[in-house]
Amino acid sequence: MNTTPLELESVWPHRWAVALVCATFPLIWVGGLVTTYDAGMAVPDWPDTYGYNLFLYPWQTWVYGPFGLFIEHGHRLLGSLSGMLTIAFLISAWWCQRRGLVRWLAVVALAAVICQGALGGMRVIEDKVQLAKIHGCVGPAFFAFAVALAVITSRRWQDADGVQNRAGLGKVERLAIVTTFLAYCQLVLGSQLRHLPAGSAPGDFRVALVFHLAIAAALVVHIFLLAFQVFRTQRDEWSLVRPTTGLVALVLVEVGLGAATWVTKYGWPSWMADYLWAADYVVHEGSRLQAWVTTAHVAMGSMILASSLLVALRSVRFAWRGSRAAGQGSWLMEAAR
Amino acid sequence: MRSGVDRFSVVFQLPSFFRSMLCLVAMNKITHAGLRCWPWLAGLVLVAGCGKAEPPAFHSNVVEMDRQGISPKQEQDIANILGALFGTPDKPFVLTETGLDRKKLEQAAGPVRSDQFGKESGLYRRHCGHCHGTTGDGLGPTALVLNPYPRDYRQGKFKFKSTERPDKPTTADLEMILRHGIPGTAMPSFDLLPDTQIQVLIEYVKYLSMRGETELKLISAMADLSEGTLEISRTALVDEILKPVAESWSTASEKIVAPAEKPSIELALSIEKGRELFYDTKRANCIKCHGLSALGDGQTNDYDDWNKPLHEIELAIASERESLRNDTEMPAADRNERESKTATTAAILKSDSLPVRTITPRNLRLGVYRGGRRPVDLFRRIYAGINGVPMPGVGPTAPGGTGTLSPEEIWSLVDYVRSLPLEAISEPPRQRPTAAQARF
Ligand code: HEC
Ligand code: HEC
Repeated sequence: MNTTPLELESVWPHRWAVALVCATFPLIWVGGLVTTYDAGMAVPDWPDTYGYNLFLYPWQTWVYGPFGLFIEHGHRLLGSLSGMLTIAFLISAWWCQRRGLVRWLAVVALAAVICQGALGGMRVIEDKVQLAKIHGCVGPAFFAFAVALAVITSRRWQDADGVQNRAGLGKVERLAIVTTFLAYCQLVLGSQLRHLPAGSAPGDFRVALVFHLAIAAALVVHIFLLAFQVFRTQRDEWSLVRPTTGLVALVLVEVGLGAATWVTKYGWPSWMADYLWAADYVVHEGSRLQAWVTTAHVAMGSMILASSLLVALRSVRFAWRGSRAAGQGSWLMEAAR
Repeated sequence: MRSGVDRFSVVFQLPSFFRSMLCLVAMNKITHAGLRCWPWLAGLVLVAGCGKAEPPAFHSNVVEMDRQGISPKQEQDIANILGALFGTPDKPFVLTETGLDRKKLEQAAGPVRSDQFGKESGLYRRHCGHCHGTTGDGLGPTALVLNPYPRDYRQGKFKFKSTERPDKPTTADLEMILRHGIPGTAMPSFDLLPDTQIQVLIEYVKYLSMRGETELKLISAMADLSEGTLEISRTALVDEILKPVAESWSTASEKIVAPAEKPSIELALSIEKGRELFYDTKRANCIKCHGLSALGDGQTNDYDDWNKPLHEIELAIASERESLRNDTEMPAADRNERESKTATTAAILKSDSLPVRTITPRNLRLGVYRGGRRPVDLFRRIYAGINGVPMPGVGPTAPGGTGTLSPEEIWSLVDYVRSLPLEAISEPPRQRPTAAQARF
């Protein structure tokens, strides 16, 4: 690490990274809607849209066309916006950042966004549910990566010495890493439930479902433990307290959304059949409620992943700065360097 | 018991389990290896871990083939004949004799697509396949976790319809199901789809059902020939096997149960009459299944027509294993053959059917009716029973005959059933007619 005084570090990489995060979150929503409405094949070609260059496709046909086309083409446009913001970030990182880590992370980000775009394209050209599943798993990972870029380029990251209580950081660090890892597993399992190849066996769906529920429970427990530790030892460190509080709220909403997704898709479980509201309930396929609840569940999953990654990164950073100050190394930051 | 064992067997679905564990372990490694490369490695793990998806193809009714002792050669022949008569999930084909509209089927079949003008195809795979299965065998990916299971169309049996018990539903019946869904089950309402798409999907349900029934008939025909294969001319195939199936569909609208006018009798009186019949074990005997309190807690250990054959196969496997264990003098060659045969049957049952479930009679105190809530719907349900389910019809088995109950009596039952949600729950046992009381 260099020792450039803070005032001399440019704020532009951080600004571009934040812009990238802000563009990627809606992208996740629209991508989720594409799957929810099964519109992945609403535009049969790629990178063109019905023979037009992506950016030259007549906007009237897009906006006033069928809904599937609207969201699929919109997803592609938003995707290229993310790509362009990544390029902007890369340029600003190489132009006005001296930290090698950020520069190379920017290169990785560009490679990632290109691959993700190509995966989306292959999903269309090959028309494979498996590719859609992978595309759907890489998307949130990229979103979390963008959040990481924003965190790493932030002032608070470079000014990490100010943490008051280093004693409890180790636990926070460990819990946050495990939570991030669980959150991503949960996304992968969720995508197994959403992308069902026509020939897949009933057993596979059930296994994915059982794991999805088990990891949901583990995730809730971990987030509560994390919050407990943060509030116990880092009460004054707002850069940990705020995202952790957010995580608790998010996971509670997410569990509710998950249950609502099931009910709006498959109805109430049969053991509730003796209650009138369950017996009387009819699933309305393709209803706005069903589509938005399901897509919100997907998008909140990405939010949880990104927030826990944020907490993990900050706690690792603070712990590392702390141990460096105390003259020890930290295995994790060594690995990340 | 079976379902308890099966829930446990989740743990033993080793391949999927390992795949998931692999994902977990790999993800762990990746987190440790640092943030730089994890999206990519995650992608790789996914590629490696997910395996290949089978191309959509119709699946043979192997459970039935195994039950009837069909040889692999015969199985192939049946698949070939069906391919010639019905095509594939991507390219459906039908003879004019079926009365089905090929244009509609083409829009329903194939992969999910939509174009610039909003014309959509692959409708079945988009809306139905994940529950009802590509073949319409009720073995879609989500089927296992749903209760009741999604309908297996291959027997050509449908529950909620306006026709006589053994007959097919009319187009209007299927439309009713698609538009309104089935409350209390996973079967959704597709009311948001345009009418043309509903018609296209109905056509495809008929197509899959005809295909499944034709397959069953071919299996029986082949089974009669033991080893050899069916040497059948095209005309005989069409006339003897396909046409009767197609006709049962095209004549459905002539088999509608058209109840006589509801007699103008005072409602309270009619309800009272209906209650007597409901509890009368010699006549309607509704309490046998629906229970004394009509909460659906009477006989709950019976099977529907989709599960009964599977249950019988399970029993046969158990008794075969029992006799193999007890018979110590059996020659080794015999024993091996019988053991491997039983093992094959058990494996087929496991891979090609869902765990056997008993059928639950309905709780009639909620006032929710899956087949429609109009009085005429209930009349038809009670008159004809529910096809595929033990629920018997109390009307005549053939139109014009005399049934267990007269139409007036059925109307009284309708009135009573409709009054059940309003009746206090403790009332029936207290007010049970003495004649019925004496029998309990
Ligand atoms: C979420 C799962 C699910 C989806 C999707 C679904 N179904 Fe069903 N369907 C079911 C279940 C469960 C039943 C059985 C209900 C019962 O037995 O009471 C059923 C029953 C049926 C029946 C039989 C009704 C009767 O009278 O016996 C038909 C016909 C049917 N579905 C057609 C369709 C069609 C066509 C589609 C697609 C447009 C579709 N279903 C989509 C779950 C589903
Ligand atoms: C042999 C058992 C049996 C008997 C006897 C029986 N039922 Fe049922 N009944 C059932 C079962 C099982 C169901 C649920 C079917 C399903 O949805 O799969 C049912 C469902 C019903 C329904 C709900 C139909 C709907 O549209 O949802 C009504 C109403 C009904 N029965 C009335 C009666 C009446 C009236 C009698 C007496 C004439 C009767 N049942 C006798 C087994 C029985």
